[in-house]
Amino acid sequence: MTEHQASLAPACAAMLRRDLTLAWRRRGDIAMPVLYALIVTMLFPFALGPEDTLLLRIAGGVVLVTVLLAMLLALDAMFSSDIEDGSLEQLVIAPQPLALMLGMKILAHWLTTALPLIVISPLLAAMLHLPVAVIPVLLLALLMATPLLSLLGAVLVALTAGTRRSGMLLALMLLPLCVPAVIFAAGAVAAAQQGLPWFSPIAWLGAALVLAVVLAPMACAAALRIALDA
Amino acid sequence: MTYASTAVPLLEARALSFQRQDEPVFAPLDFQLHAGDLVLIEGDNGSGKTTLLRMLAGLLHVDEGELLWQGETLQRDQCAGQILFLGHQLGLKGDLSSRENLRIAVGLHGCRDGVDIPGVLSNIGLHGYEDEPVRRLSAGQKKRAALARLVLLPAMLWLLDEPYANLDRTGIALVNALLEDHTAAGGVALVTSHGTASFHGGEPQRIRMHD
Repeated sequence: MTEHQASLAPACAAMLRRDLTLAWRRRGDIAMPVLYALIVTMLFPFALGPEDTLLLRIAGGVVLVTVLLAMLLALDAMFSSDIEDGSLEQLVIAPQPLALMLGMKILAHWLTTALPLIVISPLLAAMLHLPVAVIPVLLLALLMATPLLSLLGAVLVALTAGTRRSGMLLALMLLPLCVPAVIFAAGAVAAAQQGLPWFSPIAWLGAALVLAVVLAPMACAAALRIALDA
Repeated sequence: MTYASTAVPLLEARALSFQRQDEPVFAPLDFQLHAGDLVLIEGDNGSGKTTLLRMLAGLLHVDEGELLWQGETLQRDQCAGQILFLGHQLGLKGDLSSRENLRIAVGLHGCRDGVDIPGVLSNIGLHGYEDEPVRRLSAGQKKRAALARLVLLPAMLWLLDEPYANLDRTGIALVNALLEDHTAAGGVALVTSHGTASFHGGEPQRIRMHD
């Protein structure tokens, strides 16, 4: 029996393209977190009053928290459809490293949920009068914090995959893991606003991100294998 | 001594059993699968046919007993890509067309020589439906799209869970033809069914799940 074994690069490309195509076929789902973030940020000035100094002070934190919460909206669905329609079983059986394939899924998820939020975040920051000079730091902080959240979230989604009504459990478990990401990201933005050096919190986030990139897909793979093995 | 008994079996189960919450799902099973074997797994609903297939596919852990792949204890990286599993959930994405679904499968598994996606889709009876999203296909057409994977992907061992369900008369003939070609080429197929599968190439081997 002659055959062509699939090599790694085409397999990764196939996975990534699959998830991006699926996201594109359901464009409305991508728009939802973006709309949510826009609405929440718009409500803050109405609730707190259009006072420049107050908005300026909270702007960085509000944008960060809004973006991270908006990401949570889409997190739950990361593996559920694949489990329901049997695609995950096929992925486990495929002769490719499961962790890498799940890494591709997480990348696709980040590209479709976090990236649109990062793109609109300068707009959100401008609505709260964040100084233009601070916006690059905010973007950098988001570029570090959002993939970290995607990766950590993916592990938790994989862990709760087998259980019913996993939404609440997921939120409870994700909260303590979010806190450091928020503290470091907001710390960098606040430091930049006060004209202080802001690089070290970003570097911490970067270090955490590197760890998560390596470990989270493996943890996901292990958790999903356990979820299927029942 | 015949050829079949001297050759190392592709897959061998020794006293294989599975327990769910300390209840045995099926009694210890012993069987050997040699190249070219077609095996029918028979049993009533809930007798553990699907469980057995999921176990052989590596989705469930082996509780008790032993599984040997070509004479050695089965390890997943050793037989990766050699096993295809067609379960109740077909593993097709509803929002993608059958062509796109197959392209992903080929990306993950690779492709047999001499076959291509358009050719396989028209052989399998999906000509004209290649670009229709799978969720708009009928249950039988979905099944056919999933069966196309078997033709397209290289693998020795097919684990087919109720491959005849939802298929019309020509579909059933198609599955039988696929099985015949596969076993004639030296492949092995395990098929679950509650009853009326007929094979042209003589009587298949049978594994009874319950007494």
